[in-house]
Amino acid sequence: MNGTVIILKKELKRVFGDKKLVFSLFILPAIIMVALYGIMGFMMGKMSDDIEEHRNSVYVVNATEGFKNIISATGYDKNNDVIYLSEEEYRAAAKLDDDLAKKEDAIKTEEDFLNYQVKNNMVQLVVYFEKDFSKKYDSYTKSGDQIPSINLYYNPTENYSTNTYGVFTASIMNTYQSSLLKNRLEKEKIDMESLNVFNVVETTVAKEAKEKGKFISMMLPYMMVIMLFAGAMSVGVDAIAGEKERGTLASMLLSPVNRGQIVGGKIISLMILSGLSAIVYVVSMMVAMPVMKALGGESADMAQGLGNLELSLVQGLQLVAIMLTLVFLFVALIAFLAVRAKDVKTASTYISPVYIVVMVAGMLTMFMSGDKVPTYRYAIPVYGSAVAVKDLCVNELTAVNFLASLSGALILAVIFTVLITKSFNDERVMFNA
Amino acid sequence: MIQINELTKIYKLTAKKMQELKTKENTKIAVNNISLVAKPGEIYGLLGTNGAGKTTTLRCVATLLKPTKGQISVCGYDTVKDGQKVRDSIAFLTNEIKLDPNFSADYMFKFFGRLHGMSEEQIVARREELFNVFGINDFKNKKIEELSTGMKQKAAIAVSLVHDPEVVIFDEPTSGLDIVTARNVTDYLKFLRDQGKTVIVSTHIMSEAEKLSDRIGVIINGNKVAEGTLSEIISQNEAEDLEDAFFRLYSKHNPEGK
Ligand SMILES: Nc1ncnc2c1ncn2[C@@H]1O[C@H](COP(=O)(O)OP(=O)(O)OP(=O)(O)O)[C@@H](O)[C@H]1O
Ligand SMILES: [Mg+2]
Repeated sequence: MNGTVIILKKELKRVFGDKKLVFSLFILPAIIMVALYGIMGFMMGKMSDDIEEHRNSVYVVNATEGFKNIISATGYDKNNDVIYLSEEEYRAAAKLDDDLAKKEDAIKTEEDFLNYQVKNNMVQLVVYFEKDFSKKYDSYTKSGDQIPSINLYYNPTENYSTNTYGVFTASIMNTYQSSLLKNRLEKEKIDMESLNVFNVVETTVAKEAKEKGKFISMMLPYMMVIMLFAGAMSVGVDAIAGEKERGTLASMLLSPVNRGQIVGGKIISLMILSGLSAIVYVVSMMVAMPVMKALGGESADMAQGLGNLELSLVQGLQLVAIMLTLVFLFVALIAFLAVRAKDVKTASTYISPVYIVVMVAGMLTMFMSGDKVPTYRYAIPVYGSAVAVKDLCVNELTAVNFLASLSGALILAVIFTVLITKSFNDERVMFNA
Repeated sequence: MIQINELTKIYKLTAKKMQELKTKENTKIAVNNISLVAKPGEIYGLLGTNGAGKTTTLRCVATLLKPTKGQISVCGYDTVKDGQKVRDSIAFLTNEIKLDPNFSADYMFKFFGRLHGMSEEQIVARREELFNVFGINDFKNKKIEELSTGMKQKAAIAVSLVHDPEVVIFDEPTSGLDIVTARNVTDYLKFLRDQGKTVIVSTHIMSEAEKLSDRIGVIINGNKVAEGTLSEIISQNEAEDLEDAFFRLYSKHNPEGK
């Protein structure tokens, strides 16, 4: 049997023969991932349910009869407290509260009082009809005449308040405005329908795949890069630096096997293990997203985006090829740093800054504008692979760019593998000599 | 057959090591111009105090370190040019190099047998023999990390011998072993010698060197200061026994008492 195969088998046995290791490398991350997304979805769902179900208080000052009708027609006042105040009542309330006025120096005017109430969450929204609202509305005859106004007071930093404001602006105020408009037009004998001069018909022109893959094209390259790296790190550091520290790597150097074969066995086994751990991450994410959606409802909608990746067979193979070169690169890089370090701790300090660089390279693609990336940039290791995956998601990866991204990562990985073999032959590295 | 020809090994010291050793020099001469020959059918004992240079010498023989000067040949192969062939002809045992604790002695034995290119039948036959000699069968399927120091040492010895090599290089093989197990090991080394193997063993224990070695080389501060059979060394130094001879050599070659 070839030395590489023998060592490869042993390395795999080391992991798969150890139930605890299998659990901590493959099963635990999956459980954590599903649990984490589940909890996230649950919290998001709970939060949005809570906001929707919360009983809000709304002050409406000087409400017109028409407005009151619309409120009761929508049924909004059934689940929320809508308190109608006349101008006098409201002024009295503001004045009566002398204690408040003393405590809060800022409350000088009636308006300050409204602000105070909203700011302190006593009410979520104040709808203030100008005192002569109806009069102004009625007396309007030609343009240039005064038009009445309605003031809304709400607190944008408060979820309940923001939500209440949203409900009012999105539906109630509009409905009221249209109803008043209709009245006025009827008086002038103008048909409301005739105001619709034209319809706007929208058609999106992006390729279908691009439209669908947009969200995932933003997330996938970044997630792929960090997960593959994390996977390689979780198995690579111990397999090299740990063995060196324990004095077990040297025992292999005593065997009559070519050092290159030893490195080969190590690298391939690490590629298999970190590839597996990456697959575990991806699968558990695919499980986690629906869980998150199930627990979170509509609010956890970002889960949907991930289900939108549709790849052809060729594209799927391309994705696998890119991921394989990346795994190779990461494993070789981590193994190289680990072999140069004297123990596991030192190895971790070497690897952390590299992890950050890799993360940034992946992140860069997240905020890329639509500009065309020149081919030479695809050859930049890690970054190029991330861009290629991004293109793949939106069906825009050209063959040349695909090959450039593969070769960039591959060349660097081979360089690191050669350096590792050199290190294995270097007594100063292996025996501190 | 091991031929060491004017071997010198100089370590380059890092700034940190220089501090540790409280020295201003950035190199350390661990082995200084040593020549020796260990022949088939004999046990050569390398005797020296801590830090004398025994491990360094043996590591050079085992191809793990490259000589700074001089050459070493093992079974006619040069340790630098023919490293792989040398490694296939030797068993090397040293404290700092360990078997992977995540595996059983049985698996490690098979693993190294395979790396030596042995067939499964050869490995099994060899295992029967060695595991019996060292009493490993009782714990052969336990993970090495669960074994006692002595059990680990026995396993390491058996594994190092898997390919039935011509040359056996054991660096302090009895350290950490009780007298029964230690005797077990030294008896087996004698058995190997009687089979015509070349055996070289390092030790700092006088009695062991006395009883085990056919010839002894005394190393002090990286220099070989005496060589010969037990009686030759005693008479050369007009001493009563090996210990006495060693102290005489030691005061002669180490005047400042470093
Ligand atoms: N990696 C190294 N770097 C620098 N100096 C070293 C290194 N290894 C050993 N030395 C030094 O070389 C000298 C010889 O060490 P060596 O390990 O060969 O001694 P030894 O005879 O095996 O001692 P012991 O009986 O303690 O095992 C010592 O002074 C030691 O400090
Ligand atoms: Mg030693």
